[in-house]
Amino acid sequence: MGNIVEFRHIDAGYGRIQILSDLSFEVEEGQVYGVIGPNGSGKSTMFNALLGIIRPTAGAIYFDNIDITRTPPHIRCRMGIGRTFQIPRPFEHMSVYENVLIAAVHGTGQSEKKAGYAAIDALKLTGLYEKRELLSGELPLLDRKRLEVARAIGTQPKLLLLDEVAAGLTDAEVKDMMKLVKGLKDSGYSIIWIEHIIQTMLGSTDRLMCMAQGSSVIEGEPQEVINSKTVQTLYLGVDDNE
Amino acid sequence: MLKRKFTPSHVKVLDSPPMLILCIVLAVGLYIGCFAGLISNKAMRYLVQIFLYITMGEMWNLLSGYAGMTSLGQQLYIGLAGYSVAMATSPLFGLPLFGALLLGAGISVVVSLFMSLILFRLEGMYFSIATLVAAEAFCMLFFAWKFVGQGAGMTIRINPYPTLQEICILSMTICVVALALVYGLLRTRVGLGLTAMRDDITSAASVGVNIFSHKLLVYVIAAFFTALAGGIFFVNKGMIYPDSGFGISWTISMVFIAIIGGTGTVSGPIIGAIIYVFLNEKLADYPGWSNIILGTITILVILFLPNGIMGTLQKKLHFEIFSSKRFSFKLKKAAKEK
Ligand SMILES: Nc1ncnc2c1ncn2[C@@H]1O[C@H](COP(=O)(O)OP(=O)(O)O)[C@@H](O)[C@H]1O
Ligand SMILES: [Mg+2]
Repeated sequence: MGNIVEFRHIDAGYGRIQILSDLSFEVEEGQVYGVIGPNGSGKSTMFNALLGIIRPTAGAIYFDNIDITRTPPHIRCRMGIGRTFQIPRPFEHMSVYENVLIAAVHGTGQSEKKAGYAAIDALKLTGLYEKRELLSGELPLLDRKRLEVARAIGTQPKLLLLDEVAAGLTDAEVKDMMKLVKGLKDSGYSIIWIEHIIQTMLGSTDRLMCMAQGSSVIEGEPQEVINSKTVQTLYLGVDDNE
Repeated sequence: MLKRKFTPSHVKVLDSPPMLILCIVLAVGLYIGCFAGLISNKAMRYLVQIFLYITMGEMWNLLSGYAGMTSLGQQLYIGLAGYSVAMATSPLFGLPLFGALLLGAGISVVVSLFMSLILFRLEGMYFSIATLVAAEAFCMLFFAWKFVGQGAGMTIRINPYPTLQEICILSMTICVVALALVYGLLRTRVGLGLTAMRDDITSAASVGVNIFSHKLLVYVIAAFFTALAGGIFFVNKGMIYPDSGFGISWTISMVFIAIIGGTGTVSGPIIGAIIYVFLNEKLADYPGWSNIILGTITILVILFLPNGIMGTLQKKLHFEIFSSKRFSFKLKKAAKEK
């Protein structure tokens, strides 16, 4: 199988502040690709670059072997990139159902009626079906994170970007989320999963990259990466507490 | 947990047949009243203002409340339309009123397309300021232009001059069309996109909403209807000069109407416009103070009723007029029928 995503020597940031520097990595189709790294190392920024919320100042991004470096976000979404936000950003004045409906209508271009059924499927998959008529702004954190996933799935992506969907949840909720991701992988999505908690990543990913200061410091088999000196030093004193 | 399956705010929606019938009855009643001359001149004068301000407020709400484009310069299109009508109907060109209004709106659409090339590169504050600067620039232009009477302006001389009754029917028609269009638009997929943009523009882009095309569509529609309303306003007034056409007080009134009524709702600007017209009438006795008082009220409403009158009422009483909400259970019914 080919690569679903390639970052080639990407420099990117916000305005004049450069965050990513010379970031390169490849994600194989069908994989769950884990990304760890200390806070502020640029993981979420990498997602912003991949979705086109920010434009790289150097380098190129490939999706499905197509250069998307200059493609606007909504087209990247239609090409098959579905993202979640680390801090959930639902359409607060709309119902859970409407949130996913919008994703299914605009992310795929299908009719509103068809999209409605697709939205229902995404809601069932993420366990939000019972809450579909609630205002999304009134949801508790776990459900907001689920809604992020549901909305991303609603756009019928090939590649799912999960940004700390397990952070801030209780142990039981984390297990739920891991199960959900496992299920998504089995149904054929490629996934890039950012998480701060090392333990979660160990059991759920096929490959792992560790980022620090805007670039990739180590990449490989999850177990190897976590045992590596680089990661041990980066996470020293952080790992025990979190 | 299961008790809160549906929040009440999602259940009662007054856009269902009774509400629409009520609106149609009201509109037809007003039409008949106007045609049959049952409405006094004084009432008609109020009605003209209300219809025109509803149209403008609704358009500003579409721009700022939905598409996130807080324009402070919609008076650009009001002024352009007013002057277009004044010039086109003058004895020199002699266009009929309809032609002149459409010409004004057409010119506004062209200018808005051109403006969008510049404006859409800017965001937030910069966008707002640029719209204001553009309107001011046009104001200067008309100040310097001899043909339109410079600072003294132009008297509008349509032949034959439309009666108040005709103006009232015309403004009502434009208002009804504008409302129907906004409501209809919000019920399409574009409406879904706009409502998403209202809540979170970055999220909207991330789920595939084409921000640029939505913004462009809304900006052009707003220019068109704002121009129509502006054109009729000056026909009603009988004269136009640069400050009355391109002045900032237009923006103040549109902001007031949308915010008092409730941005991001269709019904908000209707209430806002009615309040504005009556308040403005009362404030006419205190020239110079009116903008200060309107501004103070706007700030108080932002502080204490951030959703505006309609927004707050809808939240408290769990209903929505002209709602663009989608329901999953409507879908279920459709599935069962199949
Ligand atoms: N919108 C923004 N504007 C400016 N700087 C930002 C913005 N978002 C994040 N940053 C900065 O970028 C750096 C990387 O942030 P982020 O990518 O969120 O890190 P991570 O997700 O790895 O914790 C941080 O120093 C953060 O302060
Ligand atoms: Mg992050």
